[in-house]
Amino acid sequence: MKKIRDYINNADIRKFRFWLQLFFFVIFVFGAYFSIDLGHEIPVLSCGYDRENGGMCYFLPLQHQLARPLDLLFSVASITVLIGFLTFVLWFIVFNKAWCGYACPLGTMQDWLTSLRKIFGIRFSTYNQTQFDKLKKIKYFMLALVILAPILVGMGVLGGEWRTAFCEICPGRMITPLFVGDTSQWTIDFSSKSAMVLTALGMIITGLFIVGSFFKKRFFCFFCPMSAMHYIFSDAALIRLKKDGDKCTKCGDCYNVCDMQIKDIADDVESTNILRDDCTLCMKCVAACPEDDALHVDILNMKVFTSTKDGFAKRMQVNKWEAKDD
Amino acid sequence: MTKEINKHHIETPKEKQNRHKAMEAAAVLEKIKHEFKEPAKAMDYFYDLYDKVHCKHEALHDDKVKVGTMCIQVPAEIVHALDATPIRLCNGFYTDDEIGSDLLPQKSCPLVKATIGHFVSDNFSDKPDVVISPTTCDQKAKSGAIIEERGYKLFDMEFPRTKESEESREYWRRSVRKFTAQLSNDLNKKLTRKKLKESITKIGYAQHLYHQLNSLRKNENAPILGVDMFLVTNAFFFDNINNWISAIKPLIKEMEQRVKDEYNAAHKRSPRIVYTGSPPIFPNLKIPLTIEESDAIIVADETCSSNRMFNDMVSVDEWFVNDMVDAVADRYLKGCTCPIFTKNSDRIRRIVELVRDYKADGVVYQAFAGCQVYEMEQRSVLEAMEKEGIPILYVESDYSPNQGGQLTTRVEAFIESLKNRRKKRI
Amino acid sequence: MNYFAGIDIGSTAIKIAIVDENRALVGQKISASGSMFYKYAQEALKELLKELNIDESDLVYTVSTGYGRKLFKEADENISEITANAIGAREAARGHCEVKTVINIGGQDSKAISLDNDGNVVNFSMNDRCAAGTGKFLDVVALKLEIGVDELSEYHFKSQGTPLPINSTCAVFAESEIIGLLGNNNSVEDIVAGVHYSIAKRIVKLVKRVGIKEGLYFDGGPALNGGLVNAIENEIGKEIFIPEFPQITTSFGAAVLAQESHQYENAI
Repeated sequence: MKKIRDYINNADIRKFRFWLQLFFFVIFVFGAYFSIDLGHEIPVLSCGYDRENGGMCYFLPLQHQLARPLDLLFSVASITVLIGFLTFVLWFIVFNKAWCGYACPLGTMQDWLTSLRKIFGIRFSTYNQTQFDKLKKIKYFMLALVILAPILVGMGVLGGEWRTAFCEICPGRMITPLFVGDTSQWTIDFSSKSAMVLTALGMIITGLFIVGSFFKKRFFCFFCPMSAMHYIFSDAALIRLKKDGDKCTKCGDCYNVCDMQIKDIADDVESTNILRDDCTLCMKCVAACPEDDALHVDILNMKVFTSTKDGFAKRMQVNKWEAKDD
Repeated sequence: MTKEINKHHIETPKEKQNRHKAMEAAAVLEKIKHEFKEPAKAMDYFYDLYDKVHCKHEALHDDKVKVGTMCIQVPAEIVHALDATPIRLCNGFYTDDEIGSDLLPQKSCPLVKATIGHFVSDNFSDKPDVVISPTTCDQKAKSGAIIEERGYKLFDMEFPRTKESEESREYWRRSVRKFTAQLSNDLNKKLTRKKLKESITKIGYAQHLYHQLNSLRKNENAPILGVDMFLVTNAFFFDNINNWISAIKPLIKEMEQRVKDEYNAAHKRSPRIVYTGSPPIFPNLKIPLTIEESDAIIVADETCSSNRMFNDMVSVDEWFVNDMVDAVADRYLKGCTCPIFTKNSDRIRRIVELVRDYKADGVVYQAFAGCQVYEMEQRSVLEAMEKEGIPILYVESDYSPNQGGQLTTRVEAFIESLKNRRKKRI
Repeated sequence: MNYFAGIDIGSTAIKIAIVDENRALVGQKISASGSMFYKYAQEALKELLKELNIDESDLVYTVSTGYGRKLFKEADENISEITANAIGAREAARGHCEVKTVINIGGQDSKAISLDNDGNVVNFSMNDRCAAGTGKFLDVVALKLEIGVDELSEYHFKSQGTPLPINSTCAVFAESEIIGLLGNNNSVEDIVAGVHYSIAKRIVKLVKRVGIKEGLYFDGGPALNGGLVNAIENEIGKEIFIPEFPQITTSFGAAVLAQESHQYENAI
């Protein structure tokens, strides 16, 4: 038992993550080729515009479902909406925000861009604390757009082209289909002024996405409405990111490696549930923590992966060293 | 015919100083070697090392550039990566304390007096080529100028007095970058990615070994005495790091065997102590010796001359030079529990955690008379210990060798009360 | 019949107490430490045993305490005077009050000890660097005023005016201050009271460091000085228990511990 535990705690998180991310990427982007269809309520930005997807991002069907006239929306006919929502929540509860860190194709693409940058030897950039505090609010606006825009369409306030307003501006729509050879999304829709604006905005955002995530790790995740949606239900999830403040020396190693620049991981020694709204549960913090049991990932209150001195030493390669002739 | 009068050789000041220091060092080594149970075989390396350096005044680093450091915060990883050797100059000799007291106010910290005394007497076996002085406590910060006056090359490093804010983190990161540029310039060496990664790995390895050794003291039968551990960690100040690493490995093996054999370096009845406060630096191991001579055993410490040097590890996300330099900077600031900061909650949490982890019976808090920061923190630490129900003894001391009776009475009374508690619990 | 001895080798005086198996005090002796205190302690112990008609073989356990405790090689055990004082105080006041705060003024030091409900030492503070606030101060004053140390109490209670404050922090410099006060036609009585209050204030500061808990006990030679006791009680604002033989509380504690240790060892 101890051997299994030690094996997990000493694991090379990076390798594990790379393969898992690749696995989910193949399933979500190319799934239909293998006759895989995981449904339409997946809690990741696995774009529905990719015809061969193996599981569709929940927002696409959600927006269509919400774009009904109000009286229809709040009637029995919307039982399907409720079922869809519950299915989404059930999917989500299993992995919590680890969907972001390990399964989301858009997230995986950003990590690949990061690796590309590292190959070129270019250093990453970060936000300073004030920028960070302002920018992290944007994802809630995005979530509002996802929910309100279709409702307003159903109410007749906005035109039909606003039905899937978020999808119009989401970089996923333009990039994901490229993987199956579909370039049809790279157009500006001239059918109406709003459509033109939205699709043009989409192109710009996609451009920003590519450049931004090249220079900043997980650039888009700061603004992602799916992340905001996740956080609302994260307390109910089975997997949790926990911290034992007594063991924390506030050394800041976790903060240093965090893609999302979450300072609380290092500085908050009172809370036990340390999952914050930006977190992607990539577990880099747990891997980088040099104290025993200060940070750990629990499934149903059982410690599954915990920080250890030995694990740290192995991952940072300080558990062995040979003297060379100086 | 003139009679040959026996020429009586009059000692030069340097010779006298060396002789006195050798006496101090030899006295302490004798005590450690002979007043307790048989020391480990692997400790012989360390005893010989101290004999070589402090009694015989031999040089260890003739072949390398020597960077003298005034405080723990100077990033050793960067110094090593520039092919130089960091030597921590914090001094523990009463002889040097006396010399330095001529230049400093009467109520000054004995550590600072001793360090300055050493510089003023210009009597180094391993003389530093450049001295780095972080602006930590008041007395150290102002010593820099005194040392520069004596003709040494000195760089200040700007160290913040707070550590919670982003501003202080940025400030220190920039200080370290500046220091790297300055030193690299001065030594005419470029900091390469390969060298820096290698030195981070090497020092991380030394830390990892220390953790392995130190964790063994958590056992009910602690295999090694606190005074021996202080010798091992103090040696890191000035020893060649490769040699230190090679020497600690057999010590770990021997201690692991002792743990298997349930060998206790003191006695089953000896109360377990966590030692914290002003750093005990060889040969000023007066209080740890008094504690262990009074039949207790130090199982953990929270001092910058021992545990803190090894505790916080550097973690790097992307192994680029700039990222590594920033990660190294973070190591020395965020986890630091030096009392020079405005708030000390991290230090209190650390002491409480050590008491729990190492199952200690009590804490001894020692402050140098004249060390304002440690003296001021005493009250909040005492209150925190009281709240947790942890017995604590506060003693003040300095470098004078004859504090004897007063110190032993206090320490013994404290240890007697701890033994009583143990008895009552059983 | 088994007997147990506690030997307190202080810097000024050697105090010996002998108890029987019931921890009752059977005899005591106080003599000067001098320079060869080991020798004098041995002699004093022999003399005391002779006076009490106790055979040396009936003395089964000895505990030494005080500054010179480690030199008394015949002792079976040695403990710090703080622990001994605490044990002695508890035992001496048994039946009168449950001692929680012990104040001791010795020849050359003073201490305050705080005990918990079970009589264990939880905290202590010592003043062993400065003579102001110790018995030495009283000696110096008495000498200067040309009266006996045992007369100080009498003079204290005869004082009519307010006690004169003594400002010197050093017992040696206080001498000059007293000359000055005498020169200004102040009465000896008022000066004595002033000295007592000066010591009392210092002692209260010392006791505050460990916390003033009910069940106060005062021992050491100066506890025989009623005037000093009066000054301290007024400064602390509480009543203080004075034992019958305050000078030997510490050695008595050591003797009690000797009996306990012997019992413990034989029980194993």
